[in-house]
Amino acid sequence: MWFFRSPDVIFGADSLSYLNNIDAKRIVIVSDKNIQHAGLIEKVIKNLPDNVEVHTIDDIPVEPDFDDITQHMDGIRSFGPDYFIGVGGGSCMDSAKILFALYERPDISVYDITPIVKLGLRKKSHLIEIPTTSGTGSECSWAAVVSGKNEKRKNELASPEILADYAILDPEMVLSLPLNQTISTAVDAMTHAIESYVSSWSNPYSEALAEKGLFMVSHSIMDVLKKPGSLELRNNVHIGASMAGLSFSNSQIGLAHALGHSLGAVFKMAHGTAVGIFLPHVVSYNSLEVDGKYSILNNLFPEDIKGKNLHDTLIKMFKVINQPLKISDLNITRKSFDDNLNTLIELAEDSTGITMNPVEAGREEIKELFVKSFGD
Amino acid sequence: MAIFPSPEWADEYVKKLNSNESYKDSGKTWEDTLTFVIEPDEKYNKTWYLYLDLAHGECRDYKYSDKEDGVPKATFIYKGKYSNWVKLINKEIDPIQGIMTGKFKLEGQMMKIMRYTKAAKDMVNTASMVDTQFEA
Ligand SMILES: [Fe+2]
Repeated sequence: MWFFRSPDVIFGADSLSYLNNIDAKRIVIVSDKNIQHAGLIEKVIKNLPDNVEVHTIDDIPVEPDFDDITQHMDGIRSFGPDYFIGVGGGSCMDSAKILFALYERPDISVYDITPIVKLGLRKKSHLIEIPTTSGTGSECSWAAVVSGKNEKRKNELASPEILADYAILDPEMVLSLPLNQTISTAVDAMTHAIESYVSSWSNPYSEALAEKGLFMVSHSIMDVLKKPGSLELRNNVHIGASMAGLSFSNSQIGLAHALGHSLGAVFKMAHGTAVGIFLPHVVSYNSLEVDGKYSILNNLFPEDIKGKNLHDTLIKMFKVINQPLKISDLNITRKSFDDNLNTLIELAEDSTGITMNPVEAGREEIKELFVKSFGD
Repeated sequence: MAIFPSPEWADEYVKKLNSNESYKDSGKTWEDTLTFVIEPDEKYNKTWYLYLDLAHGECRDYKYSDKEDGVPKATFIYKGKYSNWVKLINKEIDPIQGIMTGKFKLEGQMMKIMRYTKAAKDMVNTASMVDTQFEA
């Protein structure tokens, strides 16, 4: 027995206008300053039904800790929303999930948000997620990543009940996404598809979404970088990334995410850049076990980029789109890497991505992967 | 060959757990007590408890009983019907998916155990390494 879970997905040009149909009176928008400045919150508000009251939170930091999120609880409780709308990248959407859960259940702690506790949400409100990047998949996932207070380690909260009711994928919301973020989030999306496809929790539903998601992202990302203003190309990557998100959410992520979370926690960098550094190495590491599956995925890449195996294809593709290939490309010195190697290994060992990777990885294997990924 | 569940099985399980390098590593920061509860169903008509005192990748003490008060109270309880334990040991069920699908119940501080999913998996893998004979 296993499940397939998904929000209602509203996609394509003009999908923001769907918001006009929701039966809402009081809405909390969860977002950040950059999204505010880019005019994207205003875009959302313009599409809401008339006469709704909106309470906007626009100060979610790039890597929020629990306090950054929960400090808003009093304001939310006195406002009394019937809808939460997360607008942004992974942090904003994840924060919306957590605020929604804590508003529904004032009696629980964030640590109760695990897949093995029944929360009984949706007694008072609902959750909509609107991504402004194409990659995190948070709009379709039931996970939320939050830093601990003064802790390097990231907490990976998860519960099927924090899955959004609606995910709205409007390509207008990513049209002005800067190129560096377009690249790192697309790499994240491809990593989701590939890791989910070979995870020990993979299943026919997650596999179908991984295949199509990877196809769509890999066939459009290089063109998006040439024509970032193309709504059609942006739409392809946006939908593909969301499919990859739906895929891993119904399966699991793997070793590249475990290593990437760790690297990102020690040396600050974009999440997609971090997981992408490890992906080709993890593919080589896993390939004895899941080579057949990898060759199916390899065939989904565009002909002109396809190498003799998935590892080679990824290297080729990453070179074309300027995704760094080694840790030493990231302004991290050998010394600082060596000084932090133990912490890196320990953080990776703690990450859930390790558990459902198709090939077991212990301390030694993790260390070897880190060292290999550092490069020269 | 040890019958599951039985004192011999418990002895063998703990021996295997304590020589499992992977568990030694994944459980090295974990210190807790955990009781496995095997609940009756059509194939097995008793309830059986295996209490494990775990510290730093090692099981330093264990007790078993067919009575609840025959073992100390543990901070975590992982329980399921006999047939589901059979599936778990045969690796047909993943320990966390087992909880999410309602085949197993976990009592205790949930977030804490989620930090030790690798250790939990190693514990289950260890059960699969025991040369086990099922009763029915
Ligand atoms: Fe990711």
